[in-house]
Amino acid sequence: MKHLFKTRLHAAAFVLIPACIGINYLGKLFASVLKLPLWLDSIGTCIGGVLGGPIIGAVCGAANNLIFGFTTGDSITLVYALTSLGIGAAVGIMARLGHMEKLLGAILTAVAAGLTAVIISTPLNVIFWGGATGNVWGDLVFAWSQSAGLPVFFGSFLDELVVDVPDKLITVLIVFAIVKGLPKKLTSLYDVNDEVESLD
Amino acid sequence: MSFIEVKGLKYKYPHTSKLVLNGINFEADKGQFIGIIGENQAGKSTLCQAFAGLVPTMFRGAYGGKVLIGGVEASKVPIAVLCQKVGLVFQNPFNQLSGAKDTVFEEIAFGLQNLGIPREEIGKRVEKALMLLDINKYKERNPFDLSGGQIQRVAIASILAMEPEVLVLDEPTSQLDPQGSESVFQVIEKLAKTGITIIMVEQKMEKLAAYCDKILLLHQGTQVAYDVPERIFSRDDLKKLGVKPPIYTQVSKLLLVNRKEGEEFIYPVTLKQIEKQKDQFPSIRSAGVRERNSEKQDKGVFSIRDLSYYYVPGVLVIDKLTLNLDMRPTAVIGQNGAGKTTLVKLLKGLLKPKAGTVLLEGEDISGRTVAQLAKKIGYVFQNPDDQIFKNQVLEEVMVGPLNIGMTRKEGEARAREALEMVGLLHAAKENPYDLDLSERKMVAIASVVAMDPKVLILDEPTIAQDVRGREVLGQLIRTMEEKGKFVLAILHDMDFAARYFRRFIVMTGGKVIADGPGDQVFYEKDTLIKARLEPPHITRLCELLGYEGAFLTTEDIRK
Amino acid sequence: MKSISLYIDKDSFLTRLHPFAKLVYILAAISVPLIGGALWMYGLFLVFSLGLLISGGILKKVFPLIAFSFTILITIFLIHGLFNKENITFLFRIGGLTFYREGLLYACRIGLNILNMLLAFASFVLTTRPADLVDDLEQAGFSPRFGYMITSVFQIIPQMMGTMNTILDAQRSRGMETEGSLFTRARAFIPLIAPVVSSSLINTRERAIALEVRGFGSKNKKTFLKEHRLSGGDKMFMFLMALLIAASAVWRILHVIY
Repeated sequence: MKHLFKTRLHAAAFVLIPACIGINYLGKLFASVLKLPLWLDSIGTCIGGVLGGPIIGAVCGAANNLIFGFTTGDSITLVYALTSLGIGAAVGIMARLGHMEKLLGAILTAVAAGLTAVIISTPLNVIFWGGATGNVWGDLVFAWSQSAGLPVFFGSFLDELVVDVPDKLITVLIVFAIVKGLPKKLTSLYDVNDEVESLD
Repeated sequence: MSFIEVKGLKYKYPHTSKLVLNGINFEADKGQFIGIIGENQAGKSTLCQAFAGLVPTMFRGAYGGKVLIGGVEASKVPIAVLCQKVGLVFQNPFNQLSGAKDTVFEEIAFGLQNLGIPREEIGKRVEKALMLLDINKYKERNPFDLSGGQIQRVAIASILAMEPEVLVLDEPTSQLDPQGSESVFQVIEKLAKTGITIIMVEQKMEKLAAYCDKILLLHQGTQVAYDVPERIFSRDDLKKLGVKPPIYTQVSKLLLVNRKEGEEFIYPVTLKQIEKQKDQFPSIRSAGVRERNSEKQDKGVFSIRDLSYYYVPGVLVIDKLTLNLDMRPTAVIGQNGAGKTTLVKLLKGLLKPKAGTVLLEGEDISGRTVAQLAKKIGYVFQNPDDQIFKNQVLEEVMVGPLNIGMTRKEGEARAREALEMVGLLHAAKENPYDLDLSERKMVAIASVVAMDPKVLILDEPTIAQDVRGREVLGQLIRTMEEKGKFVLAILHDMDFAARYFRRFIVMTGGKVIADGPGDQVFYEKDTLIKARLEPPHITRLCELLGYEGAFLTTEDIRK
Repeated sequence: MKSISLYIDKDSFLTRLHPFAKLVYILAAISVPLIGGALWMYGLFLVFSLGLLISGGILKKVFPLIAFSFTILITIFLIHGLFNKENITFLFRIGGLTFYREGLLYACRIGLNILNMLLAFASFVLTTRPADLVDDLEQAGFSPRFGYMITSVFQIIPQMMGTMNTILDAQRSRGMETEGSLFTRARAFIPLIAPVVSSSLINTRERAIALEVRGFGSKNKKTFLKEHRLSGGDKMFMFLMALLIAASAVWRILHVIY
């Protein structure tokens, strides 16, 4: 798998990333406007990973949180830059391994992305907010775990798990549907294995 | 050796099997103006991208042959180096902006900054480009707040500031309204005189005939001919190749005005050449009086009473409008900002009137939601990409019918019928995004037609359509009329409007200033001037030739 | 065009301060209490940030930002006040809920940390134009390509929001309902978001062409239209902040020794 991390850093990559960050923003906005019980704020990051590979995915994720953190005053997102980076990279790796071609693979990718998010976020939650996440459903689970006397770390892990895995599942399924519909002329821009073939 | 040499150029996009360019050979000298014509998918844009080195350096795929510009092989140098020799401007104005600059000045400077040109030099070059393109007054504006025509001029300025030796223009006006196109053409005319080599793809043949030293005619990736405009447009296989010669040539062919060059007949292609051969044109012909019987008073559809609308209080966009619309296919014409789109949005219920009423077949529409009105009123938006979300054309077209409660079977039958009407039934199983923009526009039209609405509203349907696309559209409008549907369109293309529509509503400043059939409206000189509109080409030509009567299409001359 | 940036165009000490100096301030505000470990240090920087914000005349704009994190603050106080494992000392009771001193103190520390971060960031975010920040970063050696990426986000989002409204109209015109039960709303999500996502991705192809033909891939060193250097005041401010961080470390060491 020597192409796993190969990346084309050309103009197309640098216009893809802002578009993906914009998509993240819209997903989040829409979820809140339509009052859906999900975040849906990593659709773009996942698209970046699927099209451009793990490096572009990771850059999408990290840049997303850094940019919003430093300009929209939502400094809480800054903390989770690491999580987004992980999600982008995880989806990128799964896509490069060929898992985003079929529905079953997409579900597997979603689980991988969800678990990555949980593993990175849990320590952050504990360090910064003593284990809570700010999501009502997740925090109910956390409150229950604490009242049941479970360790903070484990409680926070459960908190994150019940929120992130379903969210990533829906996100990756949306990404799967969208990427399948993109024209070849676009997706081939990000192919790393193509070289110019000679017709002479 | 010529300045530009293209030798045996072949190209195929990655993961495809068809050659989009297949054996292109031609040469051009420094300072020449070269036109490229052909129907959609002839390979015009790909060829433009080959000049800029994007094909194959950026897109990869399979490449053969050579493109030499001043001795440099386009496929062998990095794009960042080649861009100082060859500049490329393409259709979509918005996508050509860097998307990262807040003012026009910075936008134009962007390329020069990338190349590391010294700061003082950048300032000088940007000022020069601002002057040449006549956009100095927008210098400090945000480029995204400008109109399409203005942005296109900013795009040309951004390229010219890099001082290329060749300027490649890929249909720079195809997505602009007439006002915007005219401003861009004026600039191109100015540039042609500066001695820069220009290669231009364009659908407006009258313009190409006037500017070009030579024209390259392509068809499905192969080169059909490379010759002077007169010889290209005098060919008799143009129809088969999906190309319509300039209106001047069309009329000359009809009236057999030509000169013989060897075995060939050569027809005039510009107004200037027509004037030169004016004495050859048959004298005074008068168009027959058109039948008006069928146009007396049809059944009413919309009844609009004292309608007013504003976005900002105090600035009326629709000003106490009273109008009855009957079954005749109707074109709404007028310049940007005349209130055309606002009017049709009010009719569709997307906007709610600030005053007055809109009655649809006697019923006030104000109480209905847009989704409820969808059954009766179909509205096709300008940009098809604002609605497409399915991975298959047929599924996309079926969305509307299913939304309004048709069964799958019925919906599919309607969808197939609609696709047939726009000539895309063969693409029913394809992914809409694999089609090009003109075809996607047809998909959007079909997706509304399939809902079988009583009223069909079209917003600028002809933009980005080639000759064949326009014919399909015209046919669709006729079919809808026969089926007893009301078609209302906002149009900028007067030649098209005159051919297929029976009633014309001229708007300016939110008011209707003329209303009637074409042979009446297009001869009301004062009104047209007031609305800043021009009559169809043919009308102007017949006036020049001194022909009396109403001429709206070339067929009117034959009669 | 409506911007997503919170920058407020107002001439003040903060807007004149070099973005790097403000970044150093954020660093100091977060690290000093963490290194020093004393609660009063949070207080010190809270007062300091508030002072800066008031001097900039932008205090009012801070409240929405604080409201943003209000839910998480409440949650932290509830969960730790009630269930923290260190909880021993009974403090008070509301209804059937018993709050303990240890948990509330812990929650206080976290709450102060969040508030402190928010205010420090606010004094940066509200007074720095993103394009200027990127320009300064690039002049300091940051890759112009990544710089492009950041500024482009600020243009692309308002553009996408504009497209969104048209899409809403286009889908409603085809008979789609957008209001009603959770199921109806969830069903509307795809038809609304898919066109804007697909078209913005498809547009990247042309945008990439536009960049390539304008020398985006050039290896030459980029020219800057205006130079922006650190002033004496900026340097002074940064030096002061560095001093504070060092002082907090010394304080902590002394504290451990005695």
